Amino acid sequence: MKKRSKTNNRLRGGRAVLFVCLTAAVFLLMFLPMWNVLVVATSTALDASQSGVKLWWNSFSLEGFEYVFQVTKMGIPFLNSLFVTTAGTVIQVILASLAGYVLIQKDLPFRGFLSSFIMITMMIPGDLTLISVYQLNKQLSLLNSYEGLILNGLISGFSILMMRNYFETVPYSLAESARMDGAGELRIFSGVYLPVSLPGMATIFFMEYVARWNSIMLPATLITDESKYTLPLMLKQMILSVDSTSGTMAVPDNAIMAAIIVSTVPLLLIYIFAQRFLLEGIQMGAVKE
Amino acid sequence: MKGRQWQKVKRYRQIYLLMIPVLIYFLVFSYYPLILGIVKSFQKVKLLGGSQFVGFANYIEILGDSQYRQAFVNSLLVGSGTFVLQFVWGLLIAVLLNEIRNKVYKSLFQTVTYIPYLLSWSVVGGLWITILSPAGMVNGFLELLQGADYSPVVFMSEASFARMIMIFTGAWKGAGYFAALFMAAIVGIDGSLYESARMDGATRMQQICHITLPMIKPTMKVVTVLSIMGILRNFDQIFVMMNAAISDKVKNLLVLIYEEGIIQFNVGTATAAATIVLLATLLITSLVKKLLKYEDIYA
Repeated sequence: MKKRSKTNNRLRGGRAVLFVCLTAAVFLLMFLPMWNVLVVATSTALDASQSGVKLWWNSFSLEGFEYVFQVTKMGIPFLNSLFVTTAGTVIQVILASLAGYVLIQKDLPFRGFLSSFIMITMMIPGDLTLISVYQLNKQLSLLNSYEGLILNGLISGFSILMMRNYFETVPYSLAESARMDGAGELRIFSGVYLPVSLPGMATIFFMEYVARWNSIMLPATLITDESKYTLPLMLKQMILSVDSTSGTMAVPDNAIMAAIIVSTVPLLLIYIFAQRFLLEGIQMGAVKE
Repeated sequence: MKGRQWQKVKRYRQIYLLMIPVLIYFLVFSYYPLILGIVKSFQKVKLLGGSQFVGFANYIEILGDSQYRQAFVNSLLVGSGTFVLQFVWGLLIAVLLNEIRNKVYKSLFQTVTYIPYLLSWSVVGGLWITILSPAGMVNGFLELLQGADYSPVVFMSEASFARMIMIFTGAWKGAGYFAALFMAAIVGIDGSLYESARMDGATRMQQICHITLPMIKPTMKVVTVLSIMGILRNFDQIFVMMNAAISDKVKNLLVLIYEEGIIQFNVGTATAAATIVLLATLLITSLVKKLLKYEDIYA
């Protein structure tokens, strides 16, 4: 593909101009709204409420951030989200690895049954059992609790299958010989299999982290107590209070944009440091369906 | 024979122990709600507590309910509109991305188009609601075009714009995801195909139309089936972006089921509706798979 100036591996003439224009248009369409968020979030409330295209600062100010942390007390939902997301994701990775390990045991009795037991759950859409999930959580008194937010969706068939696929790349004889030497299952698991499967665990970790951090439906179903709100719930409430004309005090635009930035930062960090795992994960997710 | 099996079970007892928490979890949090939902959909809760078996009454009620019918229409219109726009948009991003030679620009373009997919609907919804507000960016641009006597449009409470806004924002958020899937397929195309096309004097545009696009057809099928399965199951976007002025146009099945079942406690009809959505999803998916001659090698 490099330096073949005489061959037709590039667009030429009018086509090339069209290509540049299209690329710029698509880029701006995606980029400007996000840039607008950044500018409004770091402007004064007065500037944010003025009409006009806000793509550069009239006055730089962090009062939007002060507002969300002091008036809307965003610190609490932020810590709630951080806690339930991290705890749920770590447990998910551990359990998925253990279950994936079980599924690769070649002559394990009932292995077929266990596999299908897990695969069937992938066909049960969680969002369509929402009402019974609510009732289940009520019966277990998990409503308005961190435990409820962590427990629901703690394991997924998808992550188990993904770990199984990683483990299958390890030669089975390695485990067999370790077993002959009298090593216990946990020793074999942690000594032979885990080191090879770290990329797989990272993929599951980051995908699950993003999904949990963004989850709206489940918290909206389980949580009514504002002290247990996660970030998406709090953001939704802030947006709504702007929406309703009769509402008490509308949240200024710069505060909403600041809240958006605060809830986005962890995801951007993940994207920067774990881009490779995320892209791998979404491709596997597509292949699965 | 039985003895040997038992020997094996004993040998693997540690392994079974590892599995127990997972099995309990699935029993309680997957199978039980599914069965509970189906049971409840055939019951009516009585005022004095307890419930009564009512056969298909809930299902019949749902099918005749204009609220649910409207929600079905909204789901279908917004869902399929979003899918089409997102597909074209994602394909465009992938093709453009493939033509960018400069590494820095390429990764910048990919990052900017992919980021919205990473964000929650609270974030994307809040972002667009603010941008479409009277003091927002869209009205700002329109004012620039039309001069000082422009009076801002309140986009989010215009029923006639509502579905278009949902379709546009949905595609805006998801286009980068489709693009990443298409990109993965484009990267995998055998380079010698382009080589020989160039020998035959094909222009770059011809190469895109006759090699790139046909070669990623399998991925296009995967993407189509994937999104069709989710078409009736869009909750987050509408839950965040809906308001009273536009709810007639955009309130979809899942949001309605949520309101009915969890806020109004009409458990019987709401679970019946959820079961119908599940069946409809299966039906539409298998129909689309047939139409596309979708082979399960991708599965």
